[in-house]
Amino acid sequence: MHNTGDVKVPIGPQHPALKEPESFLLTLRGEKITAASVKIGYNHRGIEKACEGRTYIQDLYLIERICGICSHSHSTAFAQAVEEIAGIEIPARAKYIRTIVAELERVHSHLLWLGVAGHEIGFDTLLMYTWRDREVVMDILAQLTGNRVNYGMNTIGGVRRDIKAEQIPQVLKGVDTLEERTKYYIKIAGEEPTLINRLSKVGMLSYEDAIRMGAVGPTARASGVQRDVRKDDPYAAYADIDFKVITHNTCDVYGRTIVRVLELMESFKIIRQLLAKLPEGSISVRAPRKIPAGEAVSRYEAPRGEDLHYVRANGTDKPDRVKVRAPTLANVQAVALMLEDRYLADMPIVVAAIDPCFSCTDRLVSINDADHNSKNTFEWEKIHRDSIEWYKKRGIDFAKLNKTF
Amino acid sequence: MGVITKIVNWGRRKSPWVLHFNTGACNACDIEIIAGLTPTYDLERFGVLLKGTPRHADVLLCSGPVTRQIESRLKMIYEQMPEPKFVVAVGTCACTGGVFKGCYNVKAGINTVIPVSAYIPGCPASPKALIDGVTKLLNSLEESPKKK
Amino acid sequence: MSPEEAIKNDLERKFDFLNGNITIKRARRIFVDVPFERFHDVLDYMIKKMRCAMLSGITGLDEVENFAAIYHMSPEGKIMVNLKVKISREKPHIKSIMQYFPIAEMYERELEDLLGIHVDGLPEGRRYPLPDGWPKGEHPLRKDWKGAGLEMKLEGTDA
Repeated sequence: MHNTGDVKVPIGPQHPALKEPESFLLTLRGEKITAASVKIGYNHRGIEKACEGRTYIQDLYLIERICGICSHSHSTAFAQAVEEIAGIEIPARAKYIRTIVAELERVHSHLLWLGVAGHEIGFDTLLMYTWRDREVVMDILAQLTGNRVNYGMNTIGGVRRDIKAEQIPQVLKGVDTLEERTKYYIKIAGEEPTLINRLSKVGMLSYEDAIRMGAVGPTARASGVQRDVRKDDPYAAYADIDFKVITHNTCDVYGRTIVRVLELMESFKIIRQLLAKLPEGSISVRAPRKIPAGEAVSRYEAPRGEDLHYVRANGTDKPDRVKVRAPTLANVQAVALMLEDRYLADMPIVVAAIDPCFSCTDRLVSINDADHNSKNTFEWEKIHRDSIEWYKKRGIDFAKLNKTF
Repeated sequence: MGVITKIVNWGRRKSPWVLHFNTGACNACDIEIIAGLTPTYDLERFGVLLKGTPRHADVLLCSGPVTRQIESRLKMIYEQMPEPKFVVAVGTCACTGGVFKGCYNVKAGINTVIPVSAYIPGCPASPKALIDGVTKLLNSLEESPKKK
Repeated sequence: MSPEEAIKNDLERKFDFLNGNITIKRARRIFVDVPFERFHDVLDYMIKKMRCAMLSGITGLDEVENFAAIYHMSPEGKIMVNLKVKISREKPHIKSIMQYFPIAEMYERELEDLLGIHVDGLPEGRRYPLPDGWPKGEHPLRKDWKGAGLEMKLEGTDA
C-alpha cells in the first residue's frame, strides 16, 4: 500500500455505493493516523425495548444472546438484578455453579481472543492452536450446560442444571490440560521476539487516559488500572475465592495480551477452588412470576470488562425498564485515542486488542487522506492484509513462526 | 446437461467458495463458522474455501437476523454474486429471526430479504451442524444444479 | 461508619436539599434523587471533591409523567452512586457531562436517539445507536411509542 518515502493513496473504494455507514473514520497524513473515531451501533437490534414486552424468564433467553461470546455474563447480570429487586437470596450452590460457568466462559473468551489477535498480525498458526485448545473448554461447557454457547444455565432464583459429582474429574482434567497449554502461550508471549516486537508500544494508553476515557477490563488493567468487578463489587461466589487481579504496566497491546493469558491462569485457580468447595444444597429457589416494584444495578466482570445492567420492576411479570451497558461500549473512545498518531498498519490489532464485542472483521473503514484531500472506504480485510505486508517490509514476519510453532 | 456445465458443477461441488456475512448476529454462529474451519472440524477437507469477495463466491453463509442498517448491504452482496449462487442461513436467527423476532430494528430472517437455499438451525449452529448442512447442499448441487 | 454512610453524610452536609433523598439500598449501592436545576452542582461536587472518577453508564427512563436519567458513578468502581434526575416531558433536555467524562457522549446520544431527550452541548456527530435514516420523532424507548413496523423505510437507503 505504501512505498518508502512516497505516500501512495490506497487504490479506490472496493464497493462504490455500499450504503452501510463506516465503523471507523480515520484521517491519514502520510502513514500515520491523525484523527480517529469509532462508530458502533450497526448491531443495534432493539433488545431493551423488547425486554419490556416479555416476561423476566423470556428476557433471560433474549439477554443471553446480546453477545455470543459472553452470553453467561449478560444472563447472570440480569438475573442478579431481578433477584435483588425481588429480595431473593439464591442458594450457595447456585452461586458457585454460576461462577464456575462464568470462569469457563472467561477461559473460552480469552483463548478465542488470543487466536483472533494472532490472525490479525498474520500469526495464523496461533489461531489454529488456541482454537483447538479452546475446544477443550467448549466440551466442558457442553457437558455441564448442554450447549457450547448460550448455556441457558440461569433461571431467576438460581441455576437450571446441577453439576454432578461424576462430572467433576473430567472438568478438572480439562482444566489441567488447558493450564499446560496456557503455560506454553505465556512462554511464547514472554520469549518470542517477533511477537514481542509486533505488539510492544502499539496501541498506547496511559494510566491517566485509561481512567479518563473510562476504559474497562483487560484494556484498562494493561495500563495499570486496578479495577475488576469480581474484587471491587463481589457477586456470585467471588467473595469466597482467593485470586489476583492481574494488571500490567506496559500500557500497550502487549500488556493486554499478558493480562489475558495471566487471567487464564487465575481462572483455572478459581475453577479448582469452586469445585473443591462446592456447597451442598439446592440449585434454585422459587421466584415469583410478578416482581415487586423496585430497581437494581447489577455489575459483572465479563471477559471484556465491566458489564452493567439496570432493571426496574413495576409489580407485573414484565420489567418496566432494562438497560444494558456492555463493556465494549466503554472502550470505544479509548480505542480512538490509541489509534491517533499511530500507523494505519497498527489499526487491526489495536482494535482487536480491546476484544470488541462486535464482528469487527466485516466492518468498513473510511480513510480521509489529508495529504491528497481524498476520502475512500475500505473493507477491514484489506487494511488487515496491508498491515501484515507493512510489517513484513519492516522485518516483522510471522511466516517462519507459522511453520515452526 | 452439457459437458461444460458438468465440469463447472463438479468443480463447484468439490470446492465451493464461500463468503461469510454477519447481518447483525450475536457472533455465536460466526465463531462456530470459523471454528468449523479450524483443525478439529476442518471444513476445508470438504473443499470449502472462505473467500473475501462476493464476486468469487458460490455460497453465501449468512448469520444473524438482518438488522435494518445491514439490509441494503446484504442485498448488494447477493446481487454481486454470480449465478448459480446459494444462500445458507446459519443459525436460528438467520432462519427465522430467533429470539430477536419482534425487535424493532430487526427484519427477522435472511429470507425476508434474499432467497435462501438451505437453513441450518441451532443457537448457535454447531460446527457439526454446519458440516451436515454444507454437505447436504453440496450433494443437492450434484443432483440438481439449477436449484436456487 | 460504613463507607456508604460516609458518602451519604458528605452529600447531605453539602447539599441540604438532598436530605431524605439519599437511599442506601444495600452494600455498595446508593441512590440519590437530585432536582433538575441542581444536578450539575451535585455532579461537580461529586467529581471534584468526592473524586467520583468513574461513570459506568447513563440509564434513560420514561416514567410517563416525566422522563428521567440515572447516572451510574463511583469513586473507584466499588460503591455505585446512582444519581437520578427527573426531566420534564414537555421540553426534555439536559446538559451534557462530556467535559467530565468523554465516554458520556455515547450514553448521551442514546438518550437522544431512544428517548428524544435533547442533550445540550453534544457535539456534531453520528447518531447512536439507531441506524442513519431512522425517521425523526420516532423514539423507541418512549412508553407511548407505537412501534414503526417492518414496512418503515430508512431514509436515504432502499431498506
